[in-house]
This record gives sequence, C-alpha cells and structure tokens, in this order.
Amino acid sequence: MIPHYPGQQQAIRAAAGQAVALRGLTKAFGGRRVVDAIDLDVPTGSFFGLVGPNGAGKTTTLSMVTGLLRPDAGRAIVAGIDVWADPPTAKARMGVLPDGLRLFERLSGPEMLSYLGRLRGMPASVVNDRAGELITVLDLDDAGNKLVADYSTGMRKKITLAAALLHSPPVLLLDEPLEAVDPVSARIIRTVLSRYTAAGGTVVFSSHVMALVEGLCSHVAVIAGGRIIAAGELAAVRGSAASLDDAFLNLIGASDVGEGGLSWLGSSPA
Amino acid sequence: MVGIFAGLKWRLVTSRLRATSGATRIWMIIGFVVAAAAVGLLTVGLAALRAIPEAAQPVVVTLFVVQLVAWVLSPLVAFGVDETVDPARFALLPIRTQTLQRGLLVASLIGYLPLANMVILLGAAVAIGVPWSVFPVALVCAVVQLIICVVLSRAASTSMSSLMASRRGRDLGMAVGFGIFVLYMGFVALLNSGGDQTGMPAGASSLAAVLAWSPPGALASLPSLIASGELAKAALAALIAAATLALAWWWWSFALQRSLTTVPSTTAGSSPAGHAREGHAVAIGVRGTMQVVAGRDRLLVWRDPMRRMPWLMIGFLTIIYPFLVVQGKGAVFAVAFGALLVGAQAGNQYGVDGSGLWLHLQTISDRVRARGEVLGHAIAAIVPGTVVVLVAMAVQAVWRDDYDKVPAALGVCFAALLGAIAVACFVSAVLPYAMPQSRVSLFASSVPGQKGRTFGASLAVLGGGALIAAPAGVAAVLSVTVSPVWGWVALAVGLVVGALAVWLSSRLTADSYLERAPEIFAVVSAGDRV
Repeated sequence: MIPHYPGQQQAIRAAAGQAVALRGLTKAFGGRRVVDAIDLDVPTGSFFGLVGPNGAGKTTTLSMVTGLLRPDAGRAIVAGIDVWADPPTAKARMGVLPDGLRLFERLSGPEMLSYLGRLRGMPASVVNDRAGELITVLDLDDAGNKLVADYSTGMRKKITLAAALLHSPPVLLLDEPLEAVDPVSARIIRTVLSRYTAAGGTVVFSSHVMALVEGLCSHVAVIAGGRIIAAGELAAVRGSAASLDDAFLNLIGASDVGEGGLSWLGSSPA
Repeated sequence: MVGIFAGLKWRLVTSRLRATSGATRIWMIIGFVVAAAAVGLLTVGLAALRAIPEAAQPVVVTLFVVQLVAWVLSPLVAFGVDETVDPARFALLPIRTQTLQRGLLVASLIGYLPLANMVILLGAAVAIGVPWSVFPVALVCAVVQLIICVVLSRAASTSMSSLMASRRGRDLGMAVGFGIFVLYMGFVALLNSGGDQTGMPAGASSLAAVLAWSPPGALASLPSLIASGELAKAALAALIAAATLALAWWWWSFALQRSLTTVPSTTAGSSPAGHAREGHAVAIGVRGTMQVVAGRDRLLVWRDPMRRMPWLMIGFLTIIYPFLVVQGKGAVFAVAFGALLVGAQAGNQYGVDGSGLWLHLQTISDRVRARGEVLGHAIAAIVPGTVVVLVAMAVQAVWRDDYDKVPAALGVCFAALLGAIAVACFVSAVLPYAMPQSRVSLFASSVPGQKGRTFGASLAVLGGGALIAAPAGVAAVLSVTVSPVWGWVALAVGLVVGALAVWLSSRLTADSYLERAPEIFAVVSAGDRV
C-alpha cells in the first residue's frame, strides 16, 4: 500500500464533481519517470480523450487508475473513492477495458459474462438478462458458443466492453478501445459509448488517433513524456489550430517529422 | 549463405547468455557446468563399454533409436525452443528452398543440444568401434546419425508448423505429449523386465535385437558387422541408413516448399464451447464465491487440454506408480505420492490465465471474495483428487489383498493431498510464476528468467505437503509396528490436520493476494510473451 499521508479526505472533497481525479500520480521504471506527477480532472458526464504518442504514459496512467499497477506516489480518485485506499469500492464503480491483456480464453463470451457478473455478486437472472442484451447490441450473437480464444480483435474489444458495462458502473476507463478494430465494430462501440455518456456515465479513453478523439470527445488531455501538456474542453485545447492533429503536433513539438534524407527512395530495386 | 545462417544461430545462442546478468548468469554457468559434467560422465561411461562388446552393441542401438525418437518428437512436445525451427520466419526473404535447407541444417547443428549430442555420439563411436581399425567407420556412422536426427526432426517440425500455429493443433500436441509419457512408462517397465547373467535385463537385449534393423540401429551395428566380416549384412545396413537420410532430406525439402508457399489458416473453425450448464451460484460470501470459482475450474478441466492432461497424468501415475516401485504388500502407501501430485493442481492459481488475471483483479478485491476464490480453486482440485486416490487405493488393496493397511494409508494420502493443496494455494500468492500462454507445450511450464521460481514453487508444494502429512505418517508407522488401531488414528489425524491446513492457507493466501495483487499481476503477465 502507498503511504497513508494526511489529505485523503481533503483530496476526495476537492474532487467532488469529478468522475476521475488524479493528484501527483507518479510511476518510474528503472529510474525513468514514465508518469511524472500527473494532475488531471475528468468532469462527471464527460467523454474524455487521453491522447499522446506511443510511450507517452497513457497505458501506465490508466493501469494505475484501474488498480493494476501500484503508483510510486500520488492518488487516483474514481467516483469519489481513492482507488489505492479502498480498492473493492472503487473497482465496483469502474468498468475497465485494458489494451493487449488476455481474457479467460477458454470460456465462450456468454460464459465469461455470466461468470464475471456472478463473481460481482449480481443475481444470475439479472446477469443473464443484461449479458443477453449486451451481446445482441454489440452484435456478438453470431459468435454463439465460440471460445474467446478464437475471437477476432474487434470481437475481443466488444466482449471486454460488455464485461465493463455489465455491472453498470458510473465510470468507464478504456485503453485504446478502437485500436485495430474493423469499421463496423468501431461504429457499434462508438454508438454504445455515446449512449452510455448520454445516460450520465463518464468515459475516459486513450487513443493516438486524433480524428477519432476529435469526433467523439467533449474533453481532451494531451500527454507526452509522462506529463500532461494540455487539458480541458476540446475547443480550448484545439485553440486556433485547423485540427486537433495539428494542435497536438504543435504541442509536442513534432511538426516537421518525416523530412530529410531518403533521396534513394523509389529510384531502383536492390 | 550457409555462413549467414551459421552466424545467425551463433548470435542467437550467445545472446541468450549475454542478455542475462549477475546472479542469473552465475546460475546459468553453474547449470552449464553441471550439464557438461553429466554429458561428460555419460560419454566416458559409453566409451568404457568398449571393454564389454556384448553389452555395448544393444546399449548403443537403443541409444541411437531413443535419440532419433527424441529429436523427432521434441518439436511437437516443446515447439519453439529454437527460433530457427520456424520456417515461416524466412518466408518473405528471397532465398531458394535448397539454399534455405542447407543453411537451416548448418544452423541446427550449432547449439548446446547438438554439441551435447555430438559429444555423446563420440563416446558411442568409441564403444562400437571395436577393433580400432573400424573406429573411423563408427565415427562416420555417428555423424550420419546426428544428421539424420536433425533432418528428420526438422522435416517433422516443418510439416507440423502450420498445424502448431493453430489452437487445435497445439491442443493435439498436448495429447501427443501425454501419449509419449505413457509410452515412456511402458518402455521403462519393459527394459526392467527379466535379467540374465551379463547383467543386462532380458527385455532390453531382445528389444535391441529388433531395433538393430531400424535405420538408427543399422548405423549402430554397421561397425561390428564390418569387423566380423558380414559384408552383405553391412551393405544392407548402410543402404537402410542412406535411404533414410535421402528420404528425410526429400521430406524436409517438400515440407519447406509447402509451408513457405501456402497460407496457414489459423483462424479456421473454433470447436464451440458446447452447452455447459450455466452456474447459478452467486459470489455472496465465502461460500458463494467458492462455488462460482470452482464451477469455472470444473468447466475448464473438461475443456482445456492444458488442465485436463495433468489430471490424466495424475490418474495414470497414482494408479500405476505403486505397481512399479513397490513389490508386494505396502503398495497402498505409495498412493500418497500421487496424492502429493494432486496438490500441484491447485498451484500457481493466479498464474494460469496469464494477464487474464486482470479480470479477477477487477472483481475479486475484498477479503471475503479472495478467500472464496482460494477455496474454490482448492475444492476444484480436492474433489477429483479424492476420486483418483480412492480408486488407486481400491486397486492396490484388492490386487495385493492388503486391506488392513488401508485406513493408515488413506490417512497419509488425505493429509498429503490436503496438505499439498494448502501449500500450493499459499505458494501461488507468495511465489507466483508466469505460465506460457501460447500453449505450445505441455511440458514447457516456465518462462525464461523464471525457471528458479517455477522450480522453487513446485518443490515447496511437494515438500510442504509431505511435511503436513508427517503426523499421519507417524501414526501409520505405529499402525504397522505396534497395533492396527493406529491406522484409524492416522486417518483421523490426516483428515483433521489436512483440513486445518487448507482452512489456514485460505486465510493467509487471501491476505497475501490482496496485499500483493499488482505485483503478482506483473509477474504472471510475462507468460503472455511466451
């Protein structure tokens, strides 16, 4: 457990109205600060995009918020609960979709949902009703009794999203939910997420596809080198730039990448 | 081109050593020294057989055959031990199949295992090269044997590589692994049967006489046939060996061509999950959580070969092992060894799913559920384990007419079973280890850098289980030496001590898991990459 220094109650009070509040969240690997004292507020009911280049610290940050990675310092408050002080309550209030982690591969999709729902203490009948609806809406009916091990990337993201929504949490934390997903599945996931925020839920999701974030999010935070470079409402972060893409490249100082050299390219084989 | 392949393989071999540091490297070097000593000892022992030609011949014939079988089957059982085995890695390079094949052959001959094989084969050549005038022939035979091993092994693995890339193929590999295990037990039993004045078991001699005309056996008998002037037989043996090599080379070339030009269909048909009975238990309280978790474990034991095969093996071992090691009465006590192995099935419970553990981290984060989970995994091992032990006990008692020792033996068995499970649960929280999630092998149970952990955890389960069974064991000894009444004491003590151990373990394990969950997750996630 992290040190229980005073200020937890103040931090939670100060975070009222925020679905997620990070205070000085820090993680170092081998002396390198991958996440460097991040402060971030995610307003309740917002569709919040966390953008940044590969290796910026997006996954590390989300892992610390979801309770999968112990922070070196700082706090993560989700729906009014300090994640690392009271994990059971905090985890009941969040739905999680991590990137690149395995599932229970030898269960079928419905079996996995049923298992996880009952493990959360939900009555079997409620679990089955909700699982059935989620599977229909997410267009996983065709998969039937197929094992998760044989699911495609899009199907895996969708079944994980179903597992995240099953207990109807107030906050969703999604790491690259649309990475390597086919257009149809992506549209389904986007629609379900929009319906979720319309009903009052908060979505935090990471991505490096700017157009996607621009089209979906109400708020955005730009993260690079383990720090938050800009955060706030989408229009404010974009500022006068033509698109979020341009604003992002300006912010991280990489507007002239891919130039120079390569004069031999396209001349002749071998 | 051959030089490039040789260089690539050399780099792969040496980089594994260079990538380690500090204590790991020291252990690795110690391991190499021990292995080298073992190989050296084996080689000297083989060479010493030169003095007793009537023993040397069957031993070397058997060695050659076993060596070839091991080379051919090991890619199926432990696929992926060598990056150069997988021809798909070369599919996009502009290389002709013949060039690729020669390059791969040379690459396959570089490495620790081929080196060890070469040294042992040198010893074998000394053993069969009697008199010294045929030693060069023996040497040639040894070289040809190694090349046949490599070529046939590569041919088999190449033709299976597309199969092994699919989930069903890997599941099949596990079934084959179990088959090999059963064959091995039968082989051991056959070799030990009977015995004659030379000290060689009769079973081994008669087996060797048959094997002498198999391709590797023919190579092993060639020098002695030449030495004794049986030139016609020698020519036949040489022909068998040469034809095998040529056929194997052609098979390999054919398989390479095929695997490099056809698209593997890895996403083809899933075997559906079938209609398993959906559980209705709900994780409210320790008992409910236990039922939910045990329900999933039970389902997976039926469905997942990685979990099913160990149980088949345990059933087989628990019932057969007492017949092999104990002659006469008292074999009922040998069932306890199988009972200890049952304990291992509750072991490393946080590592079985690799990074899939995150689903449990999100749902099991309070003490009640954590205890329920531990007990669920325990009960999922206790129930089938008890069935196996009872069946094995009944078989031994009836076969050996040994009923009066049953209460004492049952006491020891239950104490060992429950004790090993208790220790296995606790160790899975304090010493978790990653399990390879690619499922390429039933026997590849650890990932690089965690071999020590894996070994330590397994040892702790067996040792701890034996320790917890000790009180019942004492009572069992008294039941044989003092009075049969002690047998019932052993049964009572075994059950009580075992149950207490599981109860205590569930509390300690749950606490340890909740305290260290993210660290456990980090350790076991390494299994995804292998």
